[in-house]
Amino acid sequence: MTVTTDVESPAQKRPLVRRRAGRTASLLQWMSTNQYVAVFGLLIVMFVVFTVTQGRFFTAANIRVLLTSVSILWMVSLGLTVVMLTGGYDLSLAAMVGLSGFMFVGFFSTFGIPALPAIILTVLAGALVGGAVNGLLIGWLGVPFLVVTIGTLSIFEGTTYLVSGTQTISVTSGLLNSIGFSSAGGVPITVWIMIGTLLVAYFVLRRTYFGRDVYAVGGNAAAARLSGVHVTRTLVLAYAISGGLAALGGVLEVSRISAASPTIGNTVIFSATAAVLIGGTVLGGGIGGIVGTVVGVLFLGVLQNGLALSGLASSWQEVVSGAIVVLAVLFHQFQHKGYPLLRRQRPGAHDDAAAREAQFARGRGTDAPRVDTHVSA
Amino acid sequence: MARVCEGEGLSSDDEGTKDAYLSVVDLHKRFGGIAALRGAHLTVHRGEIHSLVGANGSGKSTLLNVLSGQVFPDAGAVVLDGRPVRPGSPTRALAMGIATVTQETTLAPHLSVTENVLLGPRKRRNWYGIDWRASHEEVARILEQLEVDFEPKDLVSRLRTDQQQMVEIARALSMRAKVLLLDEPTSALSQHEVEVLFRLIRSLRDRGMTIVFVSHRMSELFELVDRITILRDGQTVDAGPIVDYDVERIVEKMVGRAGRLRQAVVGNDAQARTPLLSVRDLCVGTQVRGVSFDLAQGEAVGIAGLGGSGGTALLDGIFGSVARAAGTVQLGSALLRSGSIRHAMANGVAYVPGDRKQLGLVPNMSVAENLSMALTSDAGRLRRVRVGRERSLVQAAITEFGLVAKDARQSCSMLSGGNQQKVLIAKWLFEHPRVLLMDEPTRGVDVGAKRDIYDLLLKEKSKGLAMLISSSETEELLLLCDRILVMFRGAVVAELQRDAFDEATIMHYAMGGAV
Repeated sequence: MTVTTDVESPAQKRPLVRRRAGRTASLLQWMSTNQYVAVFGLLIVMFVVFTVTQGRFFTAANIRVLLTSVSILWMVSLGLTVVMLTGGYDLSLAAMVGLSGFMFVGFFSTFGIPALPAIILTVLAGALVGGAVNGLLIGWLGVPFLVVTIGTLSIFEGTTYLVSGTQTISVTSGLLNSIGFSSAGGVPITVWIMIGTLLVAYFVLRRTYFGRDVYAVGGNAAAARLSGVHVTRTLVLAYAISGGLAALGGVLEVSRISAASPTIGNTVIFSATAAVLIGGTVLGGGIGGIVGTVVGVLFLGVLQNGLALSGLASSWQEVVSGAIVVLAVLFHQFQHKGYPLLRRQRPGAHDDAAAREAQFARGRGTDAPRVDTHVSA
Repeated sequence: MARVCEGEGLSSDDEGTKDAYLSVVDLHKRFGGIAALRGAHLTVHRGEIHSLVGANGSGKSTLLNVLSGQVFPDAGAVVLDGRPVRPGSPTRALAMGIATVTQETTLAPHLSVTENVLLGPRKRRNWYGIDWRASHEEVARILEQLEVDFEPKDLVSRLRTDQQQMVEIARALSMRAKVLLLDEPTSALSQHEVEVLFRLIRSLRDRGMTIVFVSHRMSELFELVDRITILRDGQTVDAGPIVDYDVERIVEKMVGRAGRLRQAVVGNDAQARTPLLSVRDLCVGTQVRGVSFDLAQGEAVGIAGLGGSGGTALLDGIFGSVARAAGTVQLGSALLRSGSIRHAMANGVAYVPGDRKQLGLVPNMSVAENLSMALTSDAGRLRRVRVGRERSLVQAAITEFGLVAKDARQSCSMLSGGNQQKVLIAKWLFEHPRVLLMDEPTRGVDVGAKRDIYDLLLKEKSKGLAMLISSSETEELLLLCDRILVMFRGAVVAELQRDAFDEATIMHYAMGGAV
């Protein structure tokens, strides 16, 4: 990995990042450009520690349990990543998981639609509700995303209780059973679905023009709009994707417990936010990605599973993951702003650099330098 | 005794220093590589209205910011009432009696006039808390002096812009300010509101207040001001009573050379070439009021004007990034839809916005991603990104436009200002537009990159690209353009042909000078 230098016109060559010598330096640099790499290191360390201390940890059966236990978190986190990359947030995903369980029950039991089409319909309905309600309100009418999704969180939750009568409704379906409990090639079907979703999400975000739009809207919506990007459409689709993935998570949960329960997923949004933040996607958007989120999800999964095996109170998982979220984000800011962060980073602090940027942005006062050399036409 | 400070870098007028109330001696301030002030002097007498005059970037705002404590100078002194002071923060400047009223008001809109005037702990108190009755009464007494038509209990958000400025002035009075800094206070006001404000400023002066006034309008100087100080390139070049000046003399000092006033064409000149872009009676918000002009293929038209004269809004209105209030924009045979960026782009219009950071680039995305953003904005969204073509775009930007980038994946925020600007311009040239709209094409760009950009633009022009360039740097317009439209308060007040190009002439019209 080479050191980033600003190769400027010969007259003013100046390194932006001071060159450090040695291999450790380049390793640090690599870690500093990919936040989740540091978390990934921590994940490996944790994995090794649990493997050594807990005999039952690194067994095929436990790894299967570990992976399937994070399936809802996985789906919600992937969707949330897309939304957070656009600079938004979707609180309503917490309720979408539970609601989609009952949407499935409605399609499957009430209307008698076969399981596979019912699953597809449920996912589409989740996407439609997410895109049409959250997406249009946020992307088209410009209502702040927290306002919208706090509202829809409550609406979805209330609807779930209304349609379920606060009862858990059991579902029996051969397809759901095999999704929840069968394996293919030694890997649970649920995990195959998780991997498939990950690959599609990665491809869409990293390889398609829509993925570009997501990053552009989150990075600088005004510039994206001036470049002809459909900002509204991008936002609507992002909230549709998060709604659809949360619905898929809801279906997976129904398959795991063979029932739809109104309280499923109520707290998953907090873990999902933690996973996305640990994975390096920033609040405000434009930076981060799917791979980091998966590292964040696995981190939380291993932590919970390992602690459970150790017989420690599960509350420790919350303490540790909370601390990791804050540390990871602090680490991320440190990467972006460097050492000055440690010197002075008080909110609202006024310094010359900020003043200069503000003045450049306004284009007044310390305007652009005048041309000292005349250019011959 | 005017014009004591003839020439470069002289000290303030010595005779004036005797009864100077506020003076600034040899102020220097650099922002990064840019010298905003390099030897600014200012002498303001007690109880006078003093105006700072200068072109864009001459250092007026920086000087005001030093006085109001928002910017700390690198060298030089500020003397207030005979004592050297260091207004290092806005609070300290206020404590010393220097209050500022800016064009963007610093009021809390959802609070009452009283709460804004007696901001913070300065409200009256009684034993159980804030004494609202006494506070309102105190503010009412101040408002009475100002003869305004609103009440202490009114919400600031309900007031007009000029009334909000009065609230700021009332706040300054409540703090017993002795010096009032007014930074372009009239830019957002109507003619009638300006008259009210001027009456107030005069009456404040007559009661002993010292006023420093910045305005871009020539007529206001002669109407209101007692003495002026002229800045150019961060230096004080002249100072004296306004009665010793006329428009030509002020303009000459501002641009640094004498010039006979050239003949301008008013309105739209009949064009020899057939127009490609026709703008008719364009209105954008209140910032552009009825602008009409034509732009031919291979022609470059410049828009000159001082801050807030409407150049940026004009470009926004043509491109569609801001909806038009009235008027038409025709490109070839197509009528461009109001407020539709994509329609404009589909018809071959490109827009390089002036604010690179906020509107131009996505800083965290790579050079390749930024370069291809506009070009691929109508590609199928689920299509695979053509990475190979992006690399060739970067290669083209490097060879054709002199972009210096480490590799295609380098983040744009890591590039220098000059290279960022090249990315921004290249991104639009790859669209092969018919009309290129540009706002401040070289803001915050080093000299070398500037030359590259000028060469590039002149080359594209010779290939038939029509360009509309709004710039605060007159030299740039003189170099690039075939015609220059001078804007003042949202209207085109003069049109200059190449043979009539002259900095002093442009400045004359840009400040509202008679045609």
